[in-house]
Amino acid sequence: MLQDHLQAYVTKYGFSGYTELRAQQNRNRSVAMLNGSLIANSSGVSRGVSARVVKGGAYGFASATGYGDDPEAIARIVATASQNAGFLDRRVQRGEPDFLPNRPLTRKDGLEHDVAVEQSYLLDMVDELDSYIAERFPRLLSRRVFARSLDMEKLLYTSDGIVAHSFVPRSNVYIFMTTQDKDGQPVELYKVLGGYGNFLEKFKNAEDFFENLEKQHELLMQKADGVYAKPGIQTVILDSDLAGILAHEAVGHTVEADFVQTGSVGGPMFGQQVASEKVSLVDIAHSAFGELAPVPVFVDDEGTPAQDQMLIENGILTGYMHNKESARKFGHKANGNARAFDFSDEPLIRMRNTCILPGTDKLEDMIASVEDGYLMTDMNNGQADSTGEFMFGVPLGYEIKNGKLGRALKDTTVSGVAFEVLKTADMVSDTVTWTNSGMCGKKQMIPVGMGGPAIKVKINVGGRA
Amino acid sequence: MKQEFEVKDKAILDVAELILNEISSIGADEGETWVSRSVLTELYYEQSKISMVRTVFSDNVSIKLLKDKRKGTIRLNSFGPTDIQKAVAEAWQAAEKAAPDEAEGIAELQENLSFSSGEKEPNLDLMYQQLTDFLEDTRRDFPKISFDSIGIEHQYSEKLYANTNGVRLSEEQGLYQLSNMFMARDEGKTSSFNYFATIYKNPADRVTEPNRVRRLLSETEQQIETEQFEGSFVGDLVITPGCLQDILWFIADTYLQDGALISGTSPWKERLNQQVASPLVNISLVAEHPELPGASKLSGDGYVVENMKVIENGVLKNFSLSRYGASKTGMQRSANNGSTVVFNQGETPLEELLAGVEKGILLGRFSGGSPSPSGDLSGVAKNSFLVENGKVTAPLSEVMIAGNLSDMLRDTVAVSQERESSGYWLLPWIRVSGVTISGK
Repeated sequence: MLQDHLQAYVTKYGFSGYTELRAQQNRNRSVAMLNGSLIANSSGVSRGVSARVVKGGAYGFASATGYGDDPEAIARIVATASQNAGFLDRRVQRGEPDFLPNRPLTRKDGLEHDVAVEQSYLLDMVDELDSYIAERFPRLLSRRVFARSLDMEKLLYTSDGIVAHSFVPRSNVYIFMTTQDKDGQPVELYKVLGGYGNFLEKFKNAEDFFENLEKQHELLMQKADGVYAKPGIQTVILDSDLAGILAHEAVGHTVEADFVQTGSVGGPMFGQQVASEKVSLVDIAHSAFGELAPVPVFVDDEGTPAQDQMLIENGILTGYMHNKESARKFGHKANGNARAFDFSDEPLIRMRNTCILPGTDKLEDMIASVEDGYLMTDMNNGQADSTGEFMFGVPLGYEIKNGKLGRALKDTTVSGVAFEVLKTADMVSDTVTWTNSGMCGKKQMIPVGMGGPAIKVKINVGGRA
Repeated sequence: MKQEFEVKDKAILDVAELILNEISSIGADEGETWVSRSVLTELYYEQSKISMVRTVFSDNVSIKLLKDKRKGTIRLNSFGPTDIQKAVAEAWQAAEKAAPDEAEGIAELQENLSFSSGEKEPNLDLMYQQLTDFLEDTRRDFPKISFDSIGIEHQYSEKLYANTNGVRLSEEQGLYQLSNMFMARDEGKTSSFNYFATIYKNPADRVTEPNRVRRLLSETEQQIETEQFEGSFVGDLVITPGCLQDILWFIADTYLQDGALISGTSPWKERLNQQVASPLVNISLVAEHPELPGASKLSGDGYVVENMKVIENGVLKNFSLSRYGASKTGMQRSANNGSTVVFNQGETPLEELLAGVEKGILLGRFSGGSPSPSGDLSGVAKNSFLVENGKVTAPLSEVMIAGNLSDMLRDTVAVSQERESSGYWLLPWIRVSGVTISGK
């Protein structure tokens, strides 16, 4: 656990003007096995201190590796940040006032998850899962098992009296299986296990996951015998994983306030109907549906207490995600979306846990309602655009013919314009599933949670004619 | 510049020697380390203004040790002797638990060398001037462009590779980089976003001088109003240099590098010295090139990299394998397994290359999923234009392309004389026939 050396600095020097002071440690572990050979066995710690100072609206930031009990070392970082802010302030002379102070607050969140996990525990887990796959499915062309964990610990002091110490762990195992189709072409399917929690909590016994491996192999065999989707606009049920990435990529990015200012499509659509009234979208701060969200944020890295941010309510675009500066500019309330990835990163406007809220339909009724279309179940990546245009990869799906599931699909993609696609959502399932393995890229990478029910839409399917 | 081995910052050398001593004394058979110290200075523009000056001081260490071919690795960002000792002990524990892998090893003894390039100290005043000039030039010449972010940074680093075979290689580098993301907007309408990054040595350079920058800004302005088409057709793809870089990255990952060859999924695994592409295709990975200051001289596994032909006249000449990948597959280690890529200039002027297109698209950017192991690829054509009867016509949106990477290289029918550079790649336009292009 990070020792609190910041308090001694604050006691000795105090703060001069608006300042955020953050000590942070990101601890990660990685073990990877390819066809039974260990190809990665590493761990790492990224630890350091950063300071951000604002003078007249000009930001100065500085960070350094190493974090110890010498207040003078911390003072040098704050001084460099202050010089940087001064350099810019002299040139731009913006003369903006300091941010209004938050009410002083002290919080500790998630620290109980900080327990020692040995690298050998990950090695054993990967080895057991890999051995099971090798024994059960010897005819696979290739298999890969990766274990990854990332524990982010932050200690924040701000000049307005916020003290927040948080620990957010994430542990995942990725399983890739590759076989050949009848033409001898490789066909791959991967699944991700795990989520919020340290590795010991999420992966108690390898046997607990053998059923997942059996299921994944069965799905891979279906995919190997699968067909290519028909290209063009189709009726598609996007299952939870895909609804989640749609919420994140296609809508979330366009309603980040910095992107709105640049000119994203979310700007002119504020207050307008952007989705069917069955669609509500929220960026969850830390808790939802009676449990912790995948990436809980209780206080953001500017010291703002985090609350849920409603983005679309019954189809109407009602909110943006903000940092302190954009919230002031828009006259909105900041709800804790300013997040930094590493100690050396400044906070940016980021999503936390974007989620389409559940509806009232049953998935089986949704399938039964489709005469000719697809159920898309898995996603592998996605990208969004300022126009709301998006695309994501679909490594697994199924035909739906006359209300019944048919053959599996080979790799395809779905794309469209977010708000146009969401306007076609006429059924929304009653069950939300979260994914907790995604890293979102925007100057910095950052862990995000994505969630959603299944939604039935009209969407452009890539594929082969 | 290549020179005799010399590390300027003695702390780096001291840490490396401490690590190698610890590796030996703990009982490991072999070991290696990377030790680096860097300072990043960044000037950042976002939310419509120059917003921040940022300084990042970093010490970084990575350690790998082997015992009976069992591997343990660890990374940390501290030069503290206690932290180092703890890290070596942790790597040792990891190695003890690991399964042995006969392919593991470290770089063999070679000439100890150092390389240096660029300036150590950033010129923040010039960086500020460069950014304000860039904003002014863009406002004047491309008034519809709106920047989401612009970062101008200077990074100075000195890094050392050292191993228990006695290898010592170091590289000192000071480089400027500009990266950004932008879109065009007009009367409430927005283009697709676009971006570029460029690496250079002199912050006094005018950012908008290269044709590449002006082309990207101009094309983005033309993409506020786009057209869509119905149905699909099989046509030509004219791939722009920046987009070609992404495609080549996919090709490296799917056909040429460790992962695809060790797993055996690379469709080219038995194709060395065979024709895998059109005779017009000539691709190299480079270590030194006058237009590519971003090229690194050292590989991650402790070798001095060299210029290396990957595909020559369509024939696969080399894979891009690390020492480990080579050992694992029984193939030869590649002289370059980096990513600084050059595609030779072709014989067709760009205008003529486009004039040969009956129906197709000019692909500015590809937004799609990773290719399948067989090289199948599909995704959205971004920042792209329709090309009909040899003329670039409407800017497009909601257009998808689907094809196969290997087929795309095989079906390359023209390569432009003109090339563009980002400082870490130098690439032409290529024309590929027979690609499925679908509209709504």
